[in-house]
Formats: sequence, structure tokens, C-alpha cells
Amino acid sequence: MREDDIIICRCEDVTLGTIRELIRQGYTTLEEIKRIARCGMGPCQGKTCTPLIAREIAAITGKDIHEIMKQNHRPPFGGITFEEIVSGRDEE
Amino acid sequence: MILEYDAAIIGGGPAGICAAIAAGKNGLKTLLIEERDFLGGQLIKQTHRFFGSEEEHAGTRGIHIADDLKAELVGLSNIDVMTSTTALGYYEDGILTALHDEKMVKIKPKSMVLATGAFERFLPFENNDLPGIFGAGAVQTLMNIYGIKPADKVLMIGSGNIGLIVSYQLIQAGVQVIGVVEAASKIGGYLVHASKLRRLGVPIMTRHTIKKAIGTDKVQGALLCQLDENWQEIEGSQKQVACDAICLAVGLTPLADILSQMGCETTFIGELGGIVPKRTADLETTKPGVFVAGDLAGIEEASAAMLEGELAGLNAVKFVTGDERVNERIHHLKGELHGLRAGPVGEKIRYGLAQLFEDSVITSEKIDSHEHDITQLAHTGIPAWENIDEKMPDEQRMIKPYAVIECFQEIPCNPCVFSCPFDAIYIPKEDINLSPVVNFDKCTGCLSCISGCPGLAIFVEQRNPEQGKGTVSIPFEMLNRPQKGDVVDLLARDGHKLGTGIVTRILYGQKQDKTAVITVETDIELVNKVRNIQLQGTDKKGVM
Amino acid sequence: MRIKEHPILEFERGKKIQFTFNGNVIEAYEGETIAAALHAAGIWHYNNSDVLKRPRGLFCAIGHCSSCLMTVDGVPNTRICVTDAVDGMVVKSENRGDAK
Ligand code: FES
Ligand code: FES
Repeated sequence: MREDDIIICRCEDVTLGTIRELIRQGYTTLEEIKRIARCGMGPCQGKTCTPLIAREIAAITGKDIHEIMKQNHRPPFGGITFEEIVSGRDEE
Repeated sequence: MILEYDAAIIGGGPAGICAAIAAGKNGLKTLLIEERDFLGGQLIKQTHRFFGSEEEHAGTRGIHIADDLKAELVGLSNIDVMTSTTALGYYEDGILTALHDEKMVKIKPKSMVLATGAFERFLPFENNDLPGIFGAGAVQTLMNIYGIKPADKVLMIGSGNIGLIVSYQLIQAGVQVIGVVEAASKIGGYLVHASKLRRLGVPIMTRHTIKKAIGTDKVQGALLCQLDENWQEIEGSQKQVACDAICLAVGLTPLADILSQMGCETTFIGELGGIVPKRTADLETTKPGVFVAGDLAGIEEASAAMLEGELAGLNAVKFVTGDERVNERIHHLKGELHGLRAGPVGEKIRYGLAQLFEDSVITSEKIDSHEHDITQLAHTGIPAWENIDEKMPDEQRMIKPYAVIECFQEIPCNPCVFSCPFDAIYIPKEDINLSPVVNFDKCTGCLSCISGCPGLAIFVEQRNPEQGKGTVSIPFEMLNRPQKGDVVDLLARDGHKLGTGIVTRILYGQKQDKTAVITVETDIELVNKVRNIQLQGTDKKGVM
Repeated sequence: MRIKEHPILEFERGKKIQFTFNGNVIEAYEGETIAAALHAAGIWHYNNSDVLKRPRGLFCAIGHCSSCLMTVDGVPNTRICVTDAVDGMVVKSENRGDAK
């Protein structure tokens, strides 16, 4: 079905078909799907795709979207290069 | 070096600026951090006049509100502004790190207001990543900040306020909007915005969705289909339309990353847009001294964001100094917020907030008013005749000019009341959510109210039965503005051509602030039907 | 295309400048982002995606979606929608796979 070709994660080129397949295989948390398919690990850090993946998990498993969305983010949360961290330390 | 502040505000949009002003005015040494190299956030893209209470900037264009707020900010010497600065993390010892000028800076704030705003949702459909599919915010940035025409023919997905407003702004920028697609059975945004589009000839297709974007390396069209009550595709309803861009306005989600970062507890509330902070009615998160405001606290209109910003700022003042003198204003702001949310359009927010404050049930207030049925309007953007009739004076009164306020939905807005020099417009029970009423004994038909209405929903008519003629005055904010004496096409509420008329008067001064008030003379039977005009030969209607 | 006439807004454009995009000269005004200048020049297709090689262009224009990453003056993964154009800049499409 063409629906499977729909792009869910733009950053890492992950399709709806891949996400559905993983959910069917039993990977039903954002964390697992992220690790395997890399979706959510792109430069946008999942801002674009996470809500769509959560919706898909909820639709297939019947799980509550609250639980699916509960995820941890740890610092630093912007993209930061190593040089930038180092230059900050140098200042002190 | 560690920079010490009484308050650090993260996010320089409407909520953040208002928080900074409130904190600064009350003596806090305040730091405002903004990721971009300019302040104002989404405000600086908003060319339309804001809804809401006259007291809180309503009736003023967003771009001007941004300028006013920035001027106020600059006037306060105890506020430091750091633009091009990204907040990075917050650590146990109360140190906030940020990236400024490619260097890491350390800040020690006594209190914080988080106001990072929201980002736009993406939508799953075939080819949804093709160049030419833009978020509504991107389109606004291109045309309203940089003055660049985003495309030639745009299909808008989503009929919430953003979809409706951006569609209108696209037309102002000279772009053709071929239609607005909405999956729900009703138009999502304020119906006055929908009516503005309809009279420009833009179709709004409820219960429709996009299946596929057509094109190989650029959008060339879209495949649409109709949905049934269960949101399933109706067989045989597919339809292909041609366009060179598809604009997504399918909702916002709070930029919540910063919350877990700061150690604030979050929860998922669909009505508020997704992951939101747990917080008190005073906007304090689970982390004492850390407050939230604006879209980050829950997706709402910018008018609410500004009130929340000030509220969060004042609570930061109270937290740092213990100063009780801010209480009165805090109480007032809470009342204003309550008012904004009390009407039917605030229902979703009320449900969302009720989940947040689990113990304190916020009852949904039933507004008791002349309950005219606005179903047709809500489905199509065009009011039913019985709705319009309710707003008309009796026949003898029609020989003198009178204002017709085509504002039927209960939305929190009142600038029209203040725009009338004769006190002829009032809102029943002074409830900002009720629709305004004209006192025809006082109304002189002076045209003052027309350009002041954020929904451009006020018209002035006059009928002369003896000559079989009449006049109608309408607001006009497009290019190709007609001149006095021009013969123009007269358009109905759905944008179809009714006939022609002659422009007899134009008001276009400082007071109108670029919303021209144009009076045309026409046959008496058209007076109540004409709601738009266009110079002959400038047709740009939607085509779906 | 740049808007010349607008019913509400007036656009004050900065000094005229030039940069190159994949070797082609692009005209811009100071204060415009690279993405704005490319859009004005009619360039919508920025690069091809990493794995499926799908064409991609501007999407959010506020630095969130990362659809617009390019190499700017040698710096890879630059979000051109929030980076101002500077006279003489060298902007190149990139395939993120190579840049990493
Ligand atoms: S879209 Fe999935 S990580 Fe960016
Ligand atoms: S277009 Fe989204 S980050 Fe640049």
C-alpha cells in the first residue's frame, strides 16, 4: 500500500511502513522505535516526528497517548558543538 | 564568570516580553534570553488586528503590538536582553547555561519564566516532504517579514485561526489561495476570519483531507478526498487540484523540551496541545520559582499569552521579593484570563485546564444569550439569513445610515464598543464573549467602527426606496484599492459577482490604519448582499 | 519573487549583497536569511535526503525542523532558515550522510 511510503521522520527518512512494522513486531515505546529506526534522533531531535509516531503506537496498540509521550529529555537540549563547550570553559 | 539575576526569562515572544516588562517594572534585575537575533516571536508576522479586550492591545495589529512592547522593554534599564542566545541546561546548583556568541555563559537566576512557545505539527500524507509543502509559520515569515511571495497558488490545510489568517495574508501578498481544507465538520477558527475568506471567493472544504501531494521535485498539485463521520475516506470522493504550494496549519505543540530540562514535571493534555508543564493557577511549575507562560503552558491565542506573561512576571516578583503589592494586578489578570476563556471558543482550553488542576474543577460556563443557531455559518463561513436579519434595524430606520455587525459567534472581543464615538455599540451584560449589539437610536452611520473591527465584520448600509438605490460601506485591505468614481465589481458573502456599483466615498487615513473604508452605491436590493468589491478584471478567486 | 507592493506592510530592505549557492550567484539584501534569498530566487529544492534521496526544501523557517541544513562557508549542518546571508558567502547543498 502506498500509505506505507508516507514519511514520518523527515530527518532520518523513516516511513510509516517501517514504524508500523516495528510496532507489529512488538516495539511499542518511543524509546525502542527511536533506537532501532533512528527516527527522533535526527537534527530536529524528534520535534517533527515524535507526535506522529506516538499517534501510530496509540492507534495500533490502543495504549494511552499520555504514557507513550512520557519521555525524558536530558541536557544539553540545543545542538551544541564540542568547540562551543570548550570555548565556554576557556573563559573561566 | 557567573551572571546573577533576579529573574531570567527564556523566550522573547509576546509572553516572554510581557513577563520581562512586569518583572523589570517591579524592580527585578531581569535577563531576557531569545534564540533568534530579534525579539517579538510570532507577533512580528501578524499583520491583522488582535481580538480580545481593548484594554489589552485588541484592535491593534500584531506588528504594532510588538513595536510597543519592545519600546517599553528598552525603556527599562534593569532589563538585559540577550538575543541569538540558546538556553542549554539547568543544573542542580541553580546554574542556567546558555549559548551566546558561540560561547557558553552561566547564569544564576533567583527565578525564571519559561516562554519558549510552540512549533508546528506535521501531517502524514503521501509525499508530505516535497519542496513546496510549508508550515504556515514559514509562509508568514517569508511574506510578512522578508516581503517574499511564498508561491503563486496555495492550498491551505487546516481551518483554525492560523490557517484562516495566513490564507487571508497570502491574498494580501498577491497569492491565490485555491481553498482551505478542514477534516472536521466545522470550521476551527473564528468564523469572522472564515467569512473574510469566503467573500474573497476562497472555498472552505470541511470534512475533507489531503491524501497526497502531487509532484516529483516540487509540489504541482494535491489529491483530496472527503471524509465521513468516522473520519474515513468516502469512496469515489477523490479530487485532484492544481497548486504550487501546500501550507500546513494543523496545530501547534508546546516546545516542551526545556521543561524536563529544568526539572519541571510535565503531563500530556491533548486540549492544550501535547506535553505541558504541571503548574498552578499562578503559572508556577513543580519547581519553586520557575514559572511558565504563553504557548509553552498550553496552546492559546496571543492575547492570552501576553496576559500570562505578565502574570508569570508578577509572580516571579512576588517569589523573589515577597512584595504583596503586586497581588491586586495578579488578581485582575486572572480575571481577564478567565474572561477570555469563558465563552464557547474557550471550551477546549477550559477542558484542558480542568485536567491540569485535577482537584479544582473548572466548570464549563454556559453563556446565556440570544441563542441563534449558527450551524450554517460554522460549516461554510457564510451566515444564514435569519442570523443577518437579527442584526438589522426596522425598515423605516434604513433610510438613514446604520451599522450591521456580522459577528455571530461568541468570541472574546470588544474593540468595536470603543470605536464608536456615539456609544451606539454595546455588549450585553458587559460579557466580552457576547456578540455586540447596535443601538440604532444612537448610531449615525459615521463609519468609525468599520476599520476598527479585528474581524472586519462591520458594514454600514443606507437605503433610498424612492430612487431604488442604496449604499454600502465595507472594509478593504487588499491591493488594487479602487478610487472614488470607479465602477467596481460587487461581490457577495461567498465571493460571487452580484453586479457593479460606483465608489462614492473612501476613508483612508491615519485612523483607518490601512483598512480602507469604501462606500459604493448600488441597486437597493443588493445593499444587504454586497460584502466585498474588486476592481474590474482583478479576479483572483479560489478554484475548487 | 519579492513583494513590491503590499496593502499593509512596507519592506525596508538592507544593502544589496551576493552569495553563491552551489556555485550560482544569488542576490540578497542584508538582513535576509539565506533561505529567504533562495526563495526569492525561486530555489525551493535544497538537497536530497540521506537515505531515500527524496528532494527536500524549506519547511518550518524558524530553525526547528532541520529540513534546510546546508554547508555555509565550510560549516556543515547550518540551518539556512535562521542564518543571515552575508556578502560573499559560499553556500552548498549537502547530503547529511557525507557531512557527518
Ligand atoms: S523528523 Fe524525526 S528526528 Fe527530525
Ligand atoms: S526550515 Fe526548518 S529548520 Fe530551517
